[in-house]
Amino acid sequence: MRSPNFLVFMILAASLQAENFAIRGVTIHPVSAPDVPNAVLVVTGDRIADMGPKAAIPKGYKIIEGKGLHVYPGMIDSASILGLSEIGSVRETQDISELGDFNPQLRTIIAINPGSEHIAVTRASGITSSVVVPSGGFIGGQASVVHLDGWTWEEMAVEKSVAMQMRLPSIEAGFGGRGGGRGFGAARRPFAEVKRRYEEQMQQVRLFFEQARAYQMRKANPVLGFKPDLRLEAMIPVLEGKKPLMIVAEKERAIRDALAFADREKVKIVLAGAREVDPFLEELAKKNIPVVLPDLYQVPMEEDASIDEPLDIPAKLAKAGVKFAFGSYNIERPRNLPFQAANAVANGLSYDLALKALTLHAAEIWGIADRLGSIEKGKFADFILTDGDPLETKTQIKRMWILGNPVSLENRHTKLYEQYKKRL
Amino acid sequence: MNRRYFLSSLAAAPMLYSAGEPILIRNAKILTVTKGRVDGSLLIRDGKIAEIGANVLAPAGAMIVDAGGGFLMPGIVDCHAHIGSDATNEGSISVSSMVKIEDVLAPDDIQIYRGLAAGVTTSNVLHGSANTIGGQCTVVKMRWGKAATQMIMAGAKPGIKFALGENVKRAGGGTNFSATARYPATRMGVEDVVREAFNDARAYQRQRDEYQTRLAKGERVLPPRRDLKLEPLVEVLEGKRLVHAHCYRSDEILMLLRAAEEYGFKIRTLQHGLEAYKVAKEIAKHGAGVSTFADSWSYKIEAYDAIPYNAALCMKAGVLTSLNTDAPVTQQRHLLQDAAKTQRYGQLTDDEALSLVTINPARQLMIEDRVGSLEVGKEADIVFTDKHPLSMYAKVQKVFVDGEEYFDREKDIRDRAERETRRKALAEKLKPPPPPAQKKGAR
Amino acid sequence: MTRHLVLSAMLASGVWAQPAGTAVIAIRDARIHSASGPVLAKGTILVRNGLIEAVGEKVVIPPEAWVLDGTGLNVYPGLIDPLSTWGLPTAAVGGRPAQAPAPGPTPTTPAQLEQRIQTLDDGGPEERPSNTSWVRAADLLDPKSAALVSARNAGYTTAVGFPMTNVFAGQGSAYNLAGARAGQMVVGDPVGQMVTLPARGFGGGFPGSLMGILSYVRQIYIDADYYKAAQAQYAQNPVGLPRPAYDRALDGVIASPRLLLPASRLAEIDRMLRFGKEMKQPLVLYGGTEAFRGAALLAAAKVPMLVNLRWPERERDLDPFIKEPLRTLETRDLAPSGPAELVKAGVKFAFYSGGVERPADLRKAVKKAIDAGLSKEEALKGLTLYPAQIFGLDNRLGSIEVGKIANLTIMDGDLFDEKSKLKFTLIDGSKYEPAPEVAPATPESTR
Repeated sequence: MRSPNFLVFMILAASLQAENFAIRGVTIHPVSAPDVPNAVLVVTGDRIADMGPKAAIPKGYKIIEGKGLHVYPGMIDSASILGLSEIGSVRETQDISELGDFNPQLRTIIAINPGSEHIAVTRASGITSSVVVPSGGFIGGQASVVHLDGWTWEEMAVEKSVAMQMRLPSIEAGFGGRGGGRGFGAARRPFAEVKRRYEEQMQQVRLFFEQARAYQMRKANPVLGFKPDLRLEAMIPVLEGKKPLMIVAEKERAIRDALAFADREKVKIVLAGAREVDPFLEELAKKNIPVVLPDLYQVPMEEDASIDEPLDIPAKLAKAGVKFAFGSYNIERPRNLPFQAANAVANGLSYDLALKALTLHAAEIWGIADRLGSIEKGKFADFILTDGDPLETKTQIKRMWILGNPVSLENRHTKLYEQYKKRL
Repeated sequence: MNRRYFLSSLAAAPMLYSAGEPILIRNAKILTVTKGRVDGSLLIRDGKIAEIGANVLAPAGAMIVDAGGGFLMPGIVDCHAHIGSDATNEGSISVSSMVKIEDVLAPDDIQIYRGLAAGVTTSNVLHGSANTIGGQCTVVKMRWGKAATQMIMAGAKPGIKFALGENVKRAGGGTNFSATARYPATRMGVEDVVREAFNDARAYQRQRDEYQTRLAKGERVLPPRRDLKLEPLVEVLEGKRLVHAHCYRSDEILMLLRAAEEYGFKIRTLQHGLEAYKVAKEIAKHGAGVSTFADSWSYKIEAYDAIPYNAALCMKAGVLTSLNTDAPVTQQRHLLQDAAKTQRYGQLTDDEALSLVTINPARQLMIEDRVGSLEVGKEADIVFTDKHPLSMYAKVQKVFVDGEEYFDREKDIRDRAERETRRKALAEKLKPPPPPAQKKGAR
Repeated sequence: MTRHLVLSAMLASGVWAQPAGTAVIAIRDARIHSASGPVLAKGTILVRNGLIEAVGEKVVIPPEAWVLDGTGLNVYPGLIDPLSTWGLPTAAVGGRPAQAPAPGPTPTTPAQLEQRIQTLDDGGPEERPSNTSWVRAADLLDPKSAALVSARNAGYTTAVGFPMTNVFAGQGSAYNLAGARAGQMVVGDPVGQMVTLPARGFGGGFPGSLMGILSYVRQIYIDADYYKAAQAQYAQNPVGLPRPAYDRALDGVIASPRLLLPASRLAEIDRMLRFGKEMKQPLVLYGGTEAFRGAALLAAAKVPMLVNLRWPERERDLDPFIKEPLRTLETRDLAPSGPAELVKAGVKFAFYSGGVERPADLRKAVKKAIDAGLSKEEALKGLTLYPAQIFGLDNRLGSIEVGKIANLTIMDGDLFDEKSKLKFTLIDGSKYEPAPEVAPATPESTR
């Protein structure tokens, strides 16, 4: 359990093993404030202690020269399966989707493999935290936020349970993938049947929420012999509005259903993967519903879609005043998260908002902005040192710190590279 | 040219700039890739690059295009794509060299337009990786709106696809049996398939030679039955057909090089070759090229040792290296950005990175005298970007193929609304009438 | 007595409505649309022994003729369906390809596994998979098929039937749609080799893809030429020569006077024209959904197009929310204008029943083409003279001319008027009135 009390930490800092240090002569990009050139960054323990052109470096602190270099906050991947998957085609390495339709009691945090090669590989791009999200059925389980560093999942944990993942029933799913799909000679189910099934499933979801509310009331006034129901227990924070529902919805009907669901059940939601956002821009902004962007490395959805889809979605959301963050959604390319952001900038998003979507806004969406997401006094010392803009491929990520600890940017790939360089 | 499907039979939609008049693109930063950067102008005449220089005079009647200080680079060559064809795999048998991508080209595939819009002007359309020896491939220019025969890059050396590893073994059974287990089920068997096939090809070659001999002697003989499966393999033996082999692991790469050497031919490119860096020495010595991904890995077991430094290491070892997309597996939209990644992983220079998707794949396909760089005399396949093409913020503005403008971003944006209006109107027009109220007893 | 019973049985079946012994029929004072000349406002047709003996305004009607009053009636040449399955058994015309390996139980022992290993020598064109090229529609024809009744009721008198199973499905035969025995119905045989594109996908054996099918067809034609040459040489003097193998798959291909290939999209029309040219076979394309785009190509290649009367429509049970692509909508909108475009470009075309389940719906489908610009005269030709010409039967069928087979369609109004009804047809000079239909158990055609 981390104490939020900054002062306590300052006192304890001396007893921690992490070396206190400062970087000087560096350009700091706080994200929450304008850039500060030629500045000093002071790290005490696991927190940012001080920053500014004239920040004093306490005695005994290690000094790192940062001339010509840049400090950016560590990036946050808001939709990841890091640690839950190793090799896509091998079922034994997958722990993302459990059987069953309603599994709110499941937690990703305890299934994250700290030994996954993907952690170090992903880190090397500047990502310091990931929101690890389950899937499966209608309620897949509880997402968690982890640092990409730690001997155990306990040490990695930033928030053990940050949101409840959900995917509402949909007509498209009833047809098997995208509604227009054509099976090879397979007879397609009639629309009426798919619609009926969809309505049945929606009813099941509503009933489940009713059950959860009933349980909530029973728990408040327990009778003799009351036995906790782990599944329904897990729903309580969602019903109380303390934990958001992360609803995955890509297409128009699914998004509409998600928004209507949130209204009816009076729950907080984060919309994830939304692609057909055009009809909802005003509503999302008005209701302050944040969005985890879809994986921008997907092909345009329809034959007639614009060649820029979905790269132009962030700009659209930004224009409407909707808050959003980037997510990787798969295990093959989480390290390309900053390049997703660059693509968004190339397609109309301001650089400032792109950077925020990787850092501060992501932290705000998940309610952890008190600790992460920007370079500010009192926040975790999660940041990277680069020789330029981390969204450009020419830039090298030189160093990284998580919780004030220097973290190696070596990984499986760099090791193989060094090894086989010798053979040339 | 707008994104209009050709409504008439073969007439292409009117080009903005027709092939007739010369075109002068000026006020550009010209990245030739092979001869450095020239700030100035580029003249296109008769579909070819006629002049590049700081001060090029516009000939009479020339269309002037102002590049607004943006960048010109050679059209991108994608050495591995599965777009623009109505079939990809004939996986029913292990050796399907008789099938041809050329027979099933689909010029109306929207992916061609999308690749074009991303700056890809030439694609090597390959058979898939379902079997050890696949079908014959075709090099196409992305001439969106033209008929299939007009897309084929006439004169490009013919190719054929081989595949090794997990994809090929899959039909061999293992944990999921199908009704029939197709040989091979192991990498050992994959080598056997290759050697058997070339053993047969050699015998066929001998049969043909024997026929000529006996015919010359005046004997009563019929020529051997033309075997469409073995003919392309004989062409491989005779060096007339290029082999592009999908492969991953270092052992199977080495196996194929040695098998080819045993039968006296060379592998032209190792496609994907994610472990090529481990045997880069041997690959360089054999003379094969490598056409790989920028940073894909871990989706299969054989991709677990893949590293994003593969291209850089192979280049360093003297291997002719390129990056491809395997579209639609990864997108042509991001191929330039993939090239840019080699600057982070391997710290390649601008020209080295750009060459991975231009002159290098052109060399691999043996069309480097025609495309792959901006040089006088080459075909005018030119991409115009607003920012430096290796910047992640760059966007393709115009694409020329053979000196004709096939993509213009502004026009594409303007057309979007018009297309949507047309689509809505047609959808409304074609809506089935509402069913009449059902009367009792009516059928 | 017996004859009376037989007659009433026949009348009850509504099939044959002709007094016994009438070899001569005259249809008097009818409006005659010959399809090969101007319309005759009031004329007479004389039929003897199943052939047209005379046509004109002033035809002398012999005393032995059974005279039918044609006042107010329109007489057309019997309608021809140039790519049909009427009268052919459904099992042969659809369903699974003959040589697909049947899925069996999972092999669990080495012995079982050994039985079903596909080795390097298995599969491939040499084994002639998916090939029944020797099968003739004439041999499959069932004169008692209910489909023939529906077809006649819709005004059709002739069909060119094809087996439809397998890549090389077999030989088509032209036959009239009525007769006591199949052999008597056949007008021309064989008229062409049918090639289809069965959707086999993985696990169905070679060829599993379109590429595979085309390379297979190519190899078959190469083998056929080789076969002919080898057989000729062997026949001349077999001594010292290797014996050419018996291969009936090739016999079926060699015997065919023309090759039928499917083509609907423009890209497919272009592809099949080039492919057919490479095969050096007289070619007929069928499908033609995007004929409106491919007219110039067809004209340049001088290849006729059989147009499927099942115009593209929105899939049934499609999710109504789905936005269909612009190209799909354009094709749906413009497809019926295809025949008019073909005529303008000088391409020979004909309508076929294709995916239309009920023959009664065919006229309505033709009307759509007329509404989209096809003249009524050309529409009529597309149902009569042109299909006859395409299959080389026009010396005997397709128009009302002296000497041709007496196949006639008589309507109480204009053929392309929805309200018009069929009065009767003449097939080989015998009169057939519309009969009550037996509802088909399964859809007659799967195209």
